[in-house]
Amino acid sequence: MSVLEDAKKTYDQIPIPDELHTRVEAAIRNSQEGMRRERKMVMIRRRNQRFRVGAGAAAAAMAIFTVALNSNAAFAKEMGNIPVIGSVAQILTFRAYEKEEDGIGISVEIPSVSMIAEDTAGAAEAINEEIYNLCSRYADEAVERAKEYRQAFLDTGGTEEEWLAHKIQIKVGYEIKAQTDRYLSFVVTGMENWSSAYSQSVYYTLDLSDASQVTLEELLGEGGFEKADEEIRSQMESMESKSGIQFWTEEEGGFSGVTEETKFYVNEKNNPVIVFDKYEIAPGAFGAIEFELER
Amino acid sequence: MKRDPYEQIVSYIVENQEKFYRLAFRYAKNQEDALDIVQNAVCRALDHYRELRNPDAVKTWFYRILVNESLALVKQRNREMPVGDQGEEEIPYYETGFETGNLFEELDVLEPDVRDIIKFKYLEELTLKEISEIMELNLNTVKAKLYRGLKQLKETMQEVEV
Repeated sequence: MSVLEDAKKTYDQIPIPDELHTRVEAAIRNSQEGMRRERKMVMIRRRNQRFRVGAGAAAAAMAIFTVALNSNAAFAKEMGNIPVIGSVAQILTFRAYEKEEDGIGISVEIPSVSMIAEDTAGAAEAINEEIYNLCSRYADEAVERAKEYRQAFLDTGGTEEEWLAHKIQIKVGYEIKAQTDRYLSFVVTGMENWSSAYSQSVYYTLDLSDASQVTLEELLGEGGFEKADEEIRSQMESMESKSGIQFWTEEEGGFSGVTEETKFYVNEKNNPVIVFDKYEIAPGAFGAIEFELER
Repeated sequence: MKRDPYEQIVSYIVENQEKFYRLAFRYAKNQEDALDIVQNAVCRALDHYRELRNPDAVKTWFYRILVNESLALVKQRNREMPVGDQGEEEIPYYETGFETGNLFEELDVLEPDVRDIIKFKYLEELTLKEISEIMELNLNTVKAKLYRGLKQLKETMQEVEV
């Protein structure tokens, strides 16, 4: 039809101003700067790690350090420069190192909690030990897995050079989820960039009054699990219709109700947030899925 | 390893920026506003790139953002410069380097959404499926409206020729 052909010709002749490219460039640069800022904040946090101890010495130092840290509030304060959580608890990088061997890069940041109130020292110490063991074990196993992968790769005809191009990265670290007047909530994670199957995250929420670990049951109160199930199911429904997430059914291994083992953290509003790992209740493409529960 | 979705969106934008500009110009009818629309759409897309769940859908996802930016600008302009009647897409006249004050006025006989579908199909050369996703309409609805529009255009043309 000639009307449409004419219209298309006119359309294609709309002149493109030179300025278009600069404007698009500007928008892209702007957004990249925003991303860099995000990354920089992570870097600043990294800089706070003050203890670059050799791998061997770290374990020996740990016992002394932990005792000093937890039994002496002044010592903990003196460490200075560390992310401060309120005035009653601090979280700091206890041990951090980065190394590369055979093309396998590993960066580890192990956090430790320090409570300022002296009578809560014992509780924090137990948690710190648990975190330390968790991180070390994950790092060791991840390196082992990557080495096996490397061996298999070379055995099946891959070259050393091709292997290096894989840029295998192992990362163990932590992220503070919330620091409120009542809770300190953070997550310790381990990741390998070549396989998401072994990613691991463990959430910790501490009650600041006594440094005890808060359980989900305590947070939700009596009968809270049923209410949480209801709330999560209704949020799942609205997510399904809004963003097209397709959850697995219970028979397919999907959501079957929260339990004491369900992962959670507390956000800045003191609300519990239930977390399901990638693949836990929906196809991996949808990533980890979170549900905030209003209290 | 999967390509970073952010990088993917950036390269899609860089490759197709002229198409975006033409579409924006079709709504804005002047260079300054069309440039603003494209720039805003790019900012918005990159700010929200995490919301793109399926990287294969980057085209319809971005077009929807672009069309929304265009409509927002047209609406805002109408509010700033009130015009007599409340007709659909009442655009005040702007001096435009490009001579036409009203582009494609032959198509103005059509209902607004029929007109949009025809423009998406014949000017932007989108597929019907893409159009249905961008306009959030059922595919069959899009088809029905398209054929109705084409029929109507044919009739008007005959009238003119007679």
